[in-house]
Amino acid sequence: MKALIISDLDFQTDIFKQLNSLITGHLHEKGFSIERIKIGRNDLAFCRGCFNCWVRKPGECIIDDKMTEINRSYINADAVFFLTPVVFGQFSANMKNARDRWLPNMLPFFKIRPDGSTIHPPRYTEYPNLLIIGYADDIVEEDIQLFIDITKDHLRETGVYFFKGENEKADLINTLDRTELAKVRGIL
Amino acid sequence: MSADKKNIVMISASPKTGTESTSAFLADLQARIFREMGFSTLRLDVRGSMVRGSVESDYAAMLEADAIIITFPLYIYCLPGMLMRFLQDYTDFCREAGRKNSGTRVYAVANCGFAEAWINREAIGVVSSFSRSIDAMFRFGLLIGGGGMLVGTCDAPFMRKTMGRISGTFIKMGEDIKNACTDQAENILVEAGIPQRLYNFMGNKGWVIAAKSNNLKKKDLFRKPYQPGNSGESG
Repeated sequence: MKALIISDLDFQTDIFKQLNSLITGHLHEKGFSIERIKIGRNDLAFCRGCFNCWVRKPGECIIDDKMTEINRSYINADAVFFLTPVVFGQFSANMKNARDRWLPNMLPFFKIRPDGSTIHPPRYTEYPNLLIIGYADDIVEEDIQLFIDITKDHLRETGVYFFKGENEKADLINTLDRTELAKVRGIL
Repeated sequence: MSADKKNIVMISASPKTGTESTSAFLADLQARIFREMGFSTLRLDVRGSMVRGSVESDYAAMLEADAIIITFPLYIYCLPGMLMRFLQDYTDFCREAGRKNSGTRVYAVANCGFAEAWINREAIGVVSSFSRSIDAMFRFGLLIGGGGMLVGTCDAPFMRKTMGRISGTFIKMGEDIKNACTDQAENILVEAGIPQRLYNFMGNKGWVIAAKSNNLKKKDLFRKPYQPGNSGESG
């Protein structure tokens, strides 16, 4: 069983270290091998919105940088932990850039979900179980809620959690225990 | 109409290169409307600012603005990473300069490739949070659905109502700035003038046509390069 931990190289703060340590311990306990990718400011080019990952080289970004390795590791993992600083209620710039460049892993087509909203369908039959965990040193409740809503309202199969620090580690461990760290079907 | 030369900085934040973006199109429209209303206007482009190395002077202009309007495409349900980098660095710039945007008004214009305007909702919340971080006053946002077709169809009869509502919202932003309004302002949602199913049908056709122009067949669009066992080579 393979787990991938993606984090922001520019925000390896104390609270991040607590979070990382808790997750690492949990994964070791469950027998996972762990790959770690830290994304720094100059590691990834920005997504250009060219859609060539859909219509020129389907499934792959045409920009040749670290994102190729990240997308390959992502699809081949059983569980992915996306540990992101929360800035203005969303992912930090480095982490958001990685999310933007995840686009090749979806298909270009528009599909309507049962609730009437549109989505791009999955490219792969199976995906790793993705858990997005936010952290911040100083944050207001409104921004925590916004961070959670961005994922919950649109990426409904993705787990999202905000880590407030060591005092709430039991809550995070409970969440991890309840999460099945195995591949999930790519459903809308 | 006069607005005692209040100064509006319009930030266009599409990461696209080469082709005209919807965000640039909308920011150009804002500039025309605000100039006609008597405002002093400055257009900034995030990618251009980073490529030209004019980030510091652009940040200095933002610090002096009476109003900032941020226009961007929705990327994975939120602000593009490039815009996040620009805004995140701006807060560092303000901190290092010991300055804030107290008194500045901020407005957001988000456009998404899906037909539904509401999908932009959380992105507007992010701009509101950014505004709070620089001590500025967030006023309201314009949420546009079907943004991808605006540039190509803005003159078509079926888009007349949509374009009218977009222009009307920019005029409302101008009046809000001119009159220094502080009352509660609601976000405004505008969608392209065709039904969601037709919009999606046309969009889906468009992907296949684009693939064919790259000498690919429709089935090629479904490739799985990272599927376990695949080498990753496009074939």
